Amino acid sequence: MSKSNDDKPISAKKFMKEFRRYQKGSVTRRHFLGVTGLGTAMAVMGTAVPSLWSGKAHASGELGDRLIFSTWPNYHDQANLDAFTAKTGVNIQVNAFGSNEEMLAKLQAGGTGWDVFVPTNYTISNYVALDLIQELDLSRIPYYDAAANNPKFAGPATVNGKVYCVPKNWGTTGFVVNTKKIKSGPKSWKDFFDVTMGAGSGHTIVHDYQLTTIGAALCALGYSFNSIDAKELGEAEALLIKSKPHLFAITSDYQPGMRSGDAWMSICWNGDATQLHNDLPEMHYVIATDGGEIWTDFYAIPKDAPHLNAAYAFINFMQDPNVQASEAAVHGYAPTDSRAIALQPSSLASDPILHPAENLMNGLEFGAAQTLTDPIRAEVMARFKSA
Amino acid sequence: MREDSKPSHWLTVALLAPTSMWFLFMLILPLIVILVFSFGERSAFGGYSGGFTLEQYANLPSRLKAFQNTMIIAPAGTLLSLVVAYPLAYFLAVRVSRQYKLILLVLVIVPFWTSLLVRTYAWIFILGGRGIPTLLEFIGIEGVRLINTQGAVLVGIVYGYLPLMVFPIFVSLEKLDKTLLEASSDLGGSPFKTFMQITLPLSMPGIATGSMLVFILLMGEFLIPAFLGGGKVFFIGNALVDLFLQSRNWPFGAAVSVTLVVIMLITVSLYMRMIMRSKTGRDESLM
Repeated sequence: MSKSNDDKPISAKKFMKEFRRYQKGSVTRRHFLGVTGLGTAMAVMGTAVPSLWSGKAHASGELGDRLIFSTWPNYHDQANLDAFTAKTGVNIQVNAFGSNEEMLAKLQAGGTGWDVFVPTNYTISNYVALDLIQELDLSRIPYYDAAANNPKFAGPATVNGKVYCVPKNWGTTGFVVNTKKIKSGPKSWKDFFDVTMGAGSGHTIVHDYQLTTIGAALCALGYSFNSIDAKELGEAEALLIKSKPHLFAITSDYQPGMRSGDAWMSICWNGDATQLHNDLPEMHYVIATDGGEIWTDFYAIPKDAPHLNAAYAFINFMQDPNVQASEAAVHGYAPTDSRAIALQPSSLASDPILHPAENLMNGLEFGAAQTLTDPIRAEVMARFKSA
Repeated sequence: MREDSKPSHWLTVALLAPTSMWFLFMLILPLIVILVFSFGERSAFGGYSGGFTLEQYANLPSRLKAFQNTMIIAPAGTLLSLVVAYPLAYFLAVRVSRQYKLILLVLVIVPFWTSLLVRTYAWIFILGGRGIPTLLEFIGIEGVRLINTQGAVLVGIVYGYLPLMVFPIFVSLEKLDKTLLEASSDLGGSPFKTFMQITLPLSMPGIATGSMLVFILLMGEFLIPAFLGGGKVFFIGNALVDLFLQSRNWPFGAAVSVTLVVIMLITVSLYMRMIMRSKTGRDESLM
């Protein structure tokens, strides 16, 4: 196509003429799409409407043309997802979720169409018990190296001797404070709720996620983050309901609120704190002195994943230590893979938010499997939200 | 005659079949499933397990606040939409000259071309700290909080549902016989009296339809309160989303749904009766 043709869009008359030629078979489909600009339009729409995009055009056709991926907010470098698409022709549709319970609910209801999703440590054994995820064929994930992963983090991937997922990142759940607005320097979950109901009234966010929100209230009361004791949960519910009028929002997507200045404090995962801190130095991350969560997220494949080949290709791509390191540089969560940690710049490897000192993490607990399915915790959270 | 009616009978059946099937499979059967579920129990991992218990219905008071929010904000939102929509519909139907009417009508529909989700997301930024509150700070009004309040939800509702209210009212005002207005003023009726005795009663069908459309949809609304209420202004729709998609208590969710359907049936039938009564009353007085 000549340069001058490129500059202006095709006229209606010319379009119809080309269309007739294409219908009669005088020109090829490629010529028709090229000359009318439809090819470009389709390429642009390809990401949004992958089914329009013919997968056959790609050499690696056996991967299919799409992958449905369910993960958490602010948890990937878009450049890496694009690189995977460029390499394989597989378009990735990303769904972001704010809690493991939401993911479980979708999988339990069935027909999600998900190929890969990101569950947290405490959910794996439940998913296996419910027969919702499949055992992984590690030979199809050559980049994964079990020996490079700290068993402290990778352990929950193995249930009854079978490996069901590979680790993504690990992190902590604490809270982030806008120090320009809150100067009292809260250190614990008890402080967190005191400030919420005091100087910071109207400016606190808690997650729309039973594990962390109820966990925070439990820690503030001096109980275990993982408690499923009815009496302790009752007290936690009372504390949450009492603080509710003072909250800014109940949401797991707390970055917009923190960035706009509406919210001054939020329950926060450490990588999101890094993202906030990098842009706004007044954002400080706090690992509470009275407890909290330490966690590992994994890549897993649902039992009925429709694009299994693409799922394995994607997980393998994301396990590449180089990809892991570049992901971490963007989302601020530490890899569990020592090969990826070795590739990180020293500033990140020694970053106190990414890699907190061991003594700070002493009080932290991994989420316990029973919290996912405990009916009282589920109902406490639901009642708190509708109170 | 009889032979003539036979093919038309089959035609009627054939034409009604798709809707009947739709009603049966997409409305009646799901409603029965929900009714059955509402007497069941939550299984250990969440979801539904069979049984017969009234436990779910006994637990309804725990969602009282959500019912209250819905029962207050849905009618308030309907009324507010009406107050905003009526002058607009009147202007479009009565005042605007023919040549601009179509363009202005299209402008009312244009927002519908974009998903409500995206448009509601935009309101988060308008009402959020960097939006209107920052503008207010320039004129010295500080510390205003708009987002995540009932007011924000109401704004979102009026914005989202306005066209549904404008069009029915526009249609009934469009049909209005203008000579009636002239007759009224010839007989010495003030503009206010003319409006109250002629324009308003004749546009009642539009008002009734529009209010119904908006009210029914609002009773099941969850997106606007979720986005502009920040999880703090909780509708019964949000409670349902929560029960099915987070706490996985299907039987209780079913019981809440059944209750919502019952409340809707009662409210809507009362409303219909009220409308019907005022209509027959007027017809008689006209006679």
